[in-house]
Amino acid sequence: MFPEVLPEISDSDLEHFFQIMLSQYGMDFRGYATSSLKRRLGTVIKRYGLTGMAVLNQRLVTNPDYIDYFINEITVSTTELFRDPSAWIALRSQGLPLVQHRPQLRIWHVGASTGEEVLSMAILLKETGLYEKAEIFATDIDRRSLEQARRAVYPLRVYKGYEQNFIQVFPHLSLEKYAHVEVNQVFFDPSLLDRVRFLQHNIVTEGTFGEFEVILCRNLLIYFTPALQNQVVTRLVDSLTEGGLLMIGTKESLFWCESARRLSPVNEVERIYRKRSSP
Amino acid sequence: MKWNEFTESAPPPKQGREVLLWIIGGSAGSFNPVRTFLQNLPYHPEVALILCLHRLRNSRLSIADALKLPFPWQAIEPDDKTTIVGGHVYIAPPDYHLLVEEEGYLSLSVEEPVHFSRPSIDVLMESVAQARWPRAAGMLLSGANRDGALGMYMMKQAGYFTAVQEPQDAEIPTMPEAALALFEPHRRFRSDQMMELFLQALSL
Repeated sequence: MFPEVLPEISDSDLEHFFQIMLSQYGMDFRGYATSSLKRRLGTVIKRYGLTGMAVLNQRLVTNPDYIDYFINEITVSTTELFRDPSAWIALRSQGLPLVQHRPQLRIWHVGASTGEEVLSMAILLKETGLYEKAEIFATDIDRRSLEQARRAVYPLRVYKGYEQNFIQVFPHLSLEKYAHVEVNQVFFDPSLLDRVRFLQHNIVTEGTFGEFEVILCRNLLIYFTPALQNQVVTRLVDSLTEGGLLMIGTKESLFWCESARRLSPVNEVERIYRKRSSP
Repeated sequence: MKWNEFTESAPPPKQGREVLLWIIGGSAGSFNPVRTFLQNLPYHPEVALILCLHRLRNSRLSIADALKLPFPWQAIEPDDKTTIVGGHVYIAPPDYHLLVEEEGYLSLSVEEPVHFSRPSIDVLMESVAQARWPRAAGMLLSGANRDGALGMYMMKQAGYFTAVQEPQDAEIPTMPEAALALFEPHRRFRSDQMMELFLQALSL
């Protein structure tokens, strides 16, 4: 066995894992896509030097303090400032104009991770003069990522990529308007978060908590099976006001989602949709 | 034979787990041999190819457009949860890992790069083995890093046919060398033998 090989996870160990998470922590992983879930679990087992999935299961049973670290390890927190710049350009030019006349803009970032998407939205709203009527909710299952999101401080190595994305969306601005570098960290302007609330929330088990003009749920659905995608998207569409916007990841598809019938495309390529009016 | 006669008489493509997956991994120096191979690819509605070729992030060149596939093969960059259908060439989209799910579709992930690569050949091939896909084969070509070595090894361990390009035939030998340092595949090949290998493996 080579050291890099991820441990094999049997169906019964996985079934046991589902039971522990459900009964002890109220978290439901049964609808997660199997290959990436097994990969994440395998990575955790390896990183902690455990001998296999049975040991990890045991640790989850006996050591509840470990859960925040565990959730942080198995959730994928990859995100960027203005990830997929063309999607943000489309949101600005085609999406926001459809809702900007409303008295308030309630915005929900589902799976906000370490907060870069929230900062992108806040910058976009500031630049379009909409920030003052916005109320932004940023939720994630992963408490530790949300802590970083609240601080809005990132390692210096991400700066160059973020700046490249930023310049594509705002060719006439400099990212220095909203962020500054100190020693080896990037600090974002804290006022970007004035109208943001961060909440730990599990979209799979907890449902929705309000009505929104805009919902962003990007690169979260990819970790779910088609059946769970359908459930979650239904929940999101239910949470949109009529004419409200839904933006998903550019390689995500609503093909398996019945509730997609209640949406019409604003920009199909960039995966921006609008909730149809009820008949 | 007229076009519509052909489509009516051709057997319908297989779907999901009935499809034979032909996985091709490569990096720098692999694109041209792969393109040449695909130009003359005989149509097999029971086979789907999955290409995992590293390229620059934000590359404007779409591999799907650059490939000239003979009719009726189709090249696509799959969205998440795309059902695997024979007669297709699936190309791992840039900046996502591509994985095969045992339910018969492809899924995407944005988790960390592996060997600085996203998509990673290791991640794709490992998922094929994990999904216990009924029929699959793996091929590894030229490249400048060691992604793919472990994935190919895992495919061989899982009982799939594996073939690695001869390092001296590869434009950049690092990738095939890394695989050969780890295990001996069923075949070593030169790029002009790809078609022969493909046809041979189909009859296995």
